Parts: sequence; structure tokens; C-alpha cells
Amino acid sequence: MKKTLLPLIALVVLVTSVANTPIANAAGNAVTPPELEWSFRSSTPEWDVEQLFRGYKVATQVCMACHSFKYIKHRDLMKLGFSEEQVNVLADELGLGLDDRLMSSLTEEAALMSYGTVVPDLSLMNLARPHGADYMHGLLVGYEEAPEGFAVPEGKHYNKYFSGHVIAMPKPLTMDGQVEYPEGSDVEPTVDQMAKDVSAFIEWTGEPILVYRKQLGVYVLLYLLIFTILSYMLMKAIWADVKKKKI
Amino acid sequence: MKNFIAWFDDRLPVFTVLKHATTEYPTPKNLNYWWNFGSLALVCLVVQILTGLFLTMHYKPDAHLAFDSIQHIMRDVEWGWLLRYTHMVGAHFFFIVVYIHIFRGLYFGSYKQPREVLWGLGVIILFLMIITAFMGYVLPWGQMSYWGATVITNLLSVIPFVGNNVVVWLWGGYSVGDPTLNRFFALHFLMPFVIFAVVFLHLWALHHKKSNNPLGIDLKKQTDYVPFHPYYTIKDTFGLGVYLMFFLGMVFYAPNILGHTDNYIPANPMVTPAHIVPEWYFLPFYAILRAIPNKLLGVVAMVAAILILFALPWLDKSKVRAATFRPIYKQVYWIFFANCFVLGWVGANPPEGIYVLIGQVSTAIYFAFFMLLPIISRFEKTKPVPTSL
Repeated sequence: MKKTLLPLIALVVLVTSVANTPIANAAGNAVTPPELEWSFRSSTPEWDVEQLFRGYKVATQVCMACHSFKYIKHRDLMKLGFSEEQVNVLADELGLGLDDRLMSSLTEEAALMSYGTVVPDLSLMNLARPHGADYMHGLLVGYEEAPEGFAVPEGKHYNKYFSGHVIAMPKPLTMDGQVEYPEGSDVEPTVDQMAKDVSAFIEWTGEPILVYRKQLGVYVLLYLLIFTILSYMLMKAIWADVKKKKI
Repeated sequence: MKNFIAWFDDRLPVFTVLKHATTEYPTPKNLNYWWNFGSLALVCLVVQILTGLFLTMHYKPDAHLAFDSIQHIMRDVEWGWLLRYTHMVGAHFFFIVVYIHIFRGLYFGSYKQPREVLWGLGVIILFLMIITAFMGYVLPWGQMSYWGATVITNLLSVIPFVGNNVVVWLWGGYSVGDPTLNRFFALHFLMPFVIFAVVFLHLWALHHKKSNNPLGIDLKKQTDYVPFHPYYTIKDTFGLGVYLMFFLGMVFYAPNILGHTDNYIPANPMVTPAHIVPEWYFLPFYAILRAIPNKLLGVVAMVAAILILFALPWLDKSKVRAATFRPIYKQVYWIFFANCFVLGWVGANPPEGIYVLIGQVSTAIYFAFFMLLPIISRFEKTKPVPTSL
């Protein structure tokens, strides 16, 4: 049993590491972003609803000037525990209904004119980049002076964590206090904090069931553990007579 | 009830056949846990067919709708996320299980006489699985779907004279596009049933010649066997439990870890990804394809890498099946095994610098294994083989 399982585990690890190589490569010459602590990645995964709400503020007040979150409607916020009244007020502030998607008012043509590129939808952005939320946070705080000798084309910007370092998006979070945080927030809207909060929000927009999935997984694995132990015992019982007669 | 069963069985012997295949089917009693992977592969196929069936009820095979319909499944369909993740991770695990199953056969000589046809049917299943998985990966219509499809379908252009026409015919246009997606969906739905049919033949051949065993010897005594049910049904059930912990562990905790992040970017014919990489289970073959500088020969080598498995029972002339009693084959086997991982690693990296050389060397090793087998098996001094359990 042990003799069989060990190489199996080794194989799974090997396959996983081989399979992960292209992910590292796809990032090109980008720098690996620092790994942060996230409530949804902890051993007791959960959404930090206050953080998501702050992230929602940043997303709607900053990101949505250009980016959309086309897979998200205000009604989805109710799954985080907000009441219909609360969500209605939020939607109203943006001139949206409960079932309107979070679409930026920037048109594709206008984006091409201003930035020379199309603006990607942000709903799935954490899933579409290696390192997910860490990358998103890194990108938002990763604007800096280009190193000497590095030519940044006119109208583009240097970013430490962006693949190739040349990014069309101007630095979106420019100063502390850019977004007013809800009263009673236990954090200040520093650039770093806003970057974290909106990254957590984008994690949620990418996969709203993420936390539920991880929480449910515990019960699934517990069930399977009991199932496996019972079937092991049954196997031993059934095989007992064969083993006894073994030559 | 008993009378009815007897009456029915007399007219259509379902119960007799079932009995014959379970409580009366003799299975070697010394099978180790590596023998679990055959029945596990069948479970994988059934899981893929069932989850796939329900996914088709919500998926839209249309270049403008496909990507969004996946998100519709993830967000709006009841348990849609579980269906999709199970199907997605299920594809990865199907290949893990089948590759282990194949390497088990290679180690214990299960491909040898009298199981050559059983082995050959298995190679056909592998080939069909590769085609099915490739088409399935195109369906989400992400960047890697689109560009992977473009690269792989383009390979057919090497067919002499008609290559370019074949590619256009396959695409249904002058590039991968909506018609391609539509037909890949139709074929991706059909193929699992074709696989199922070949699996049936695979099992038929198995039941006709019976399982090989870890000693690789012909078992003659009746006491060397136990009936498949309940002995191996319970052992397979236990194995299934262990397997499901790995499998569902990944479904619930890391469903995207084996996938490429680029496939969460909608397909865009105007933007080519920095590196187009296939899924991990194709990487060794991809490495062989790129090891040869000539495109035609590269494709030939890649296809040959699979086809050569058909010839294995005749390349290996040793009378002894299990590697346990074959000191040289055993070493060559492990080199071949490790080499497949090297090929996979090379396939995952861009074809430049040192990777080119390593890829060529490991491609040579891959084929050398098969070329050397006739010689090795002739001169190898095997250890004494037990005559019974």
C-alpha cells in the first residue's frame, strides 16, 4: 500500500510541476509579484466582505472609468450578504439597475483613440494572469521610473510587474485618499490598501463561488475519507480468506 | 421474481453474461494496486461523459457566445461550476490515470503475447482520447483554445499535395473560426461514444485472455485465481476512494492549477500569445514535433511516437513479461519513463537555446527505446521466473 502510494504522489507532484512551467513562461520577463495574505486563500477561506466593499468602491470609482466588469450585476452583491435596499442604493448612485451589468461608459473607439489599445474586461483578470490577486496588487503599485537605458514609447508607461514592462494604462491609483472609504473602515485608503482591496474584489468577480467551493471541499473530502476507510476495512475482510491460504 | 429472471435470461442471457463477467470471471489473485488504474480509467470516461452531457445543455458552440456561456455555467447554472470544474480537471486526471495504466502495461509486459490485440485497442483509445481532449480544449474559446487549435490543425498542411486543402476543409474557412468551433463541438460530443465502443472491445479482449499479473506468468492452477466479484470490485472501490480524494481535492481546491491562465482571455485572432503551449498531457509529443527542424518530418515523428506503440509486442522478443525478471529491460524502462518527463519539460519551454538540444536528445532516446528492444530482448539474460504463485 505505502509502496504503491509514494510513487503515485511523486508522479502527481512531478506532473503538476511540469504542467506549471508554461505558466511561469507566459509571464515573459515580468517580475514575480510579492505573495500577500488573502482571506480567500487562508486555511479557513472566507470573503472579507468589508474589504470587498472597499474594493467595489475603488473598482466603480476608478477602474470603471475605462474597464467593465461585464459578468457582474449589482444583484450579485446580495450573495455577499448585502440587502436588496443597500444594493439598490449603490446601483442608484451609478445610475444602474439591480440587473444591469457593470459596464464602463468608455467605448472601444474612444479607448483606441486615447490609449491606442482596447481595454480588457476586468471580471476574470485574476484568473487570466499568473499569481492572480498578487499580480493585480503588484501591477497597481508597480509603476515606477524606467531603469536607465530602458526606452518607454511615447504615451506608454513603465511597470515593474507587467509582462514586457511597457503598459498602455496610466497609473490608476495615484494618491492616498483617492477613493473615500466607508465610515468606520478600519483601514486608510492608501494606494497600497486600495490596490489590495480592489484586487480582492477582482478575485471575487472572477469566481464568486470560490469561497463556497473551498468550504464545501472540506465536507467532500471528509466524506471520501470515511468512505475510503470503510472500503479498506471491507476489502481486508473480504480478502482475509484468500490471504490465509496464501502459499 | 426468480422465475421471471430465468424466463428472461433464457430469451436474452443478460444475467448469465453478468454472472460470467463478475462472480465467475477469474482474476489473478496477486494483482497489485497498479492494476486499479484500468477500472479507474473507465470511471474517468463515465464521469467525463456525464458531466459533458450536462454541460452541453448550457454551452453555446458559437464564436461570439462560447466564452460567455462558460461564465454563464460558472455563475448562473445550478452547480454549473462543479460540472465544469469536474469535467475540466477530469480531463487532466483521465490522462494521468491512462498514462499510469500504460506504464503499468509496459513494466509488467502486458502488451506481450497473447494480449497484443488488447494492447493495440488500448493504443487506439489513447489516440482517440488525444483527439477528443484537443477538441474539448478548443470549446471554451479562450486565447489558448484558439491558438492551440490554429497551431495543431496547421500541422495537417504537411500532408503532400492536398495538405492545405485538408486544413481549409477542416476549418470550414480560411482560419480557425466559428465553423471550426461548431464542428469541433459536434465531434467532441461524438468521440467519447466511439471511445466507449473501443473500450468495450478492449474489455472483451481482456476477458477473453484474462488479466496479466505482476509476475507476468501464465497462471494454470485454478487456485491462482479469485472471482472478480467481490474480490476486485471491493479493491477497485477502495482504489476509487483514494483516487477521488486526489481528484476532488483538485476540483475543490485547485481547479485551475493545471490549466493555462491565458485561456481566461477570450479568443482574439489579432493577438498571438507570447508562448503557445498545449495542455501538459500533449507536451512530450509536442517536444518530439519541435525537435525536428523539418515540419513534415516533425509531424511524422510525432505521429510515429504513438503509432510505434502498436509494434511493441513484436519489437520486444523476450519470452519473459515482467520487468522484475528482466534486469536490462528494467533499467531501459526507467530511462524511458524519466525521458518522457524530460520531453514534457522541453515541450513546456520555448524551442530555443539549450531546450532544442535536450529536446533532440530526448526524442532520440524515445525512439531508441523501441529500436533497441529487439536487440536487448534477444541478448538479455533474464532471472529465473517462478512457475506459479
